[in-house]
Amino acid sequence: MSAPIHIKGFTNDILGWKAWLEVVQLAQATPAQMSVLEESHPKAKESDYYLFLVHQPEILHQRSLAFNAIMYAPGGLSRAERELASTVVSRINGCVYCASVHAQRFEQLAKRQDVIEQVFEEPHGAGTSERERAIVDFSIELTLNPDHVNASSVQKLKDAGLQNLEILDLIHSVAIFAWANRLMLNLGEPIFPSV
Amino acid sequence: MLNQSTSDTLDRLVGLSPQSQTYATRREREKVVAATQGSENSLFDPALAGLSEIDRLYVALYACLITPSPELAAEYESKLVNLGANLQTIHCIQKSDIHKIGNVRLEAMLNFTHTLITKPINADKMALSGLPKAGLSTPEVVTLAQLISFVSYQVRLAAGLRAMQALELSL
Repeated sequence: MSAPIHIKGFTNDILGWKAWLEVVQLAQATPAQMSVLEESHPKAKESDYYLFLVHQPEILHQRSLAFNAIMYAPGGLSRAERELASTVVSRINGCVYCASVHAQRFEQLAKRQDVIEQVFEEPHGAGTSERERAIVDFSIELTLNPDHVNASSVQKLKDAGLQNLEILDLIHSVAIFAWANRLMLNLGEPIFPSV
Repeated sequence: MLNQSTSDTLDRLVGLSPQSQTYATRREREKVVAATQGSENSLFDPALAGLSEIDRLYVALYACLITPSPELAAEYESKLVNLGANLQTIHCIQKSDIHKIGNVRLEAMLNFTHTLITKPINADKMALSGLPKAGLSTPEVVTLAQLISFVSYQVRLAAGLRAMQALELSL
């Protein structure tokens, strides 16, 4: 269904991730830690990422609530467009792991990968339609220069057809990847499939 | 009693009142509003073990100053002053004179903050290893990483909401 992409160090391959410091061992996890793992992600108990973050269970609990509410809320910006924004932010921040996960999700939802190839090649100007280019441009601006984002940045999204709730969903999707990319980049590293 | 617009940090800082369209749109994502405030409350909980509340606020202040996000920087500075934080340390952070603070542990946290805010790709294994060397436990490293990353989220959410509100007011 989806062809492998390898462009400028970015890929849609399924990658692993390992933590650089010690994770919580399931056998030693407290009931509070187990309950946060169970609500965070279906595979959280096998994931170094969640097993590391669960050193602080209440912080992970709130962060998982925010992440899931942003990426899976019904209505508003399409889920594929949220994944596109996440992929753009990850590409700009250099998070190869996050970019691969969210490129795959975009492809599953949108049934195409053309814009992902463009984003990996050169995010500035990427997009297969006026609407996509507006989403990509705004994602880059809010990631690199949040202090420059203003009324005219939002007007450009409206001109491309986005409604208020879609714009808010886009802001949320960009902002939550400022958070996610920094965790993935600074606490561990991707594991590439052996060739 | 606080009403909802003053108990929510982002509504207060962006100046969103219940009469505004941007406020109403934000309430269509009530779970995000709650989890954003819940994250802030958990990261700055005075009872959280490990990094002191004041050290967490120094990190947030520095993250906002170098992003830059003047409004959020002012917010964290005022919390520090209210808690009786060291004014000389605040001054060093404002001048980005981190090496003049004279506290190895806090300096390591702030240097890590600088890397993770300005060039997250450079926050590599070597950058992370400076934290245990400066005496941080692994749960403290998790708190610090979540804190810096949350502030990166919060400043972009504030910037986006402010832009939506500015457009609404200009029409």
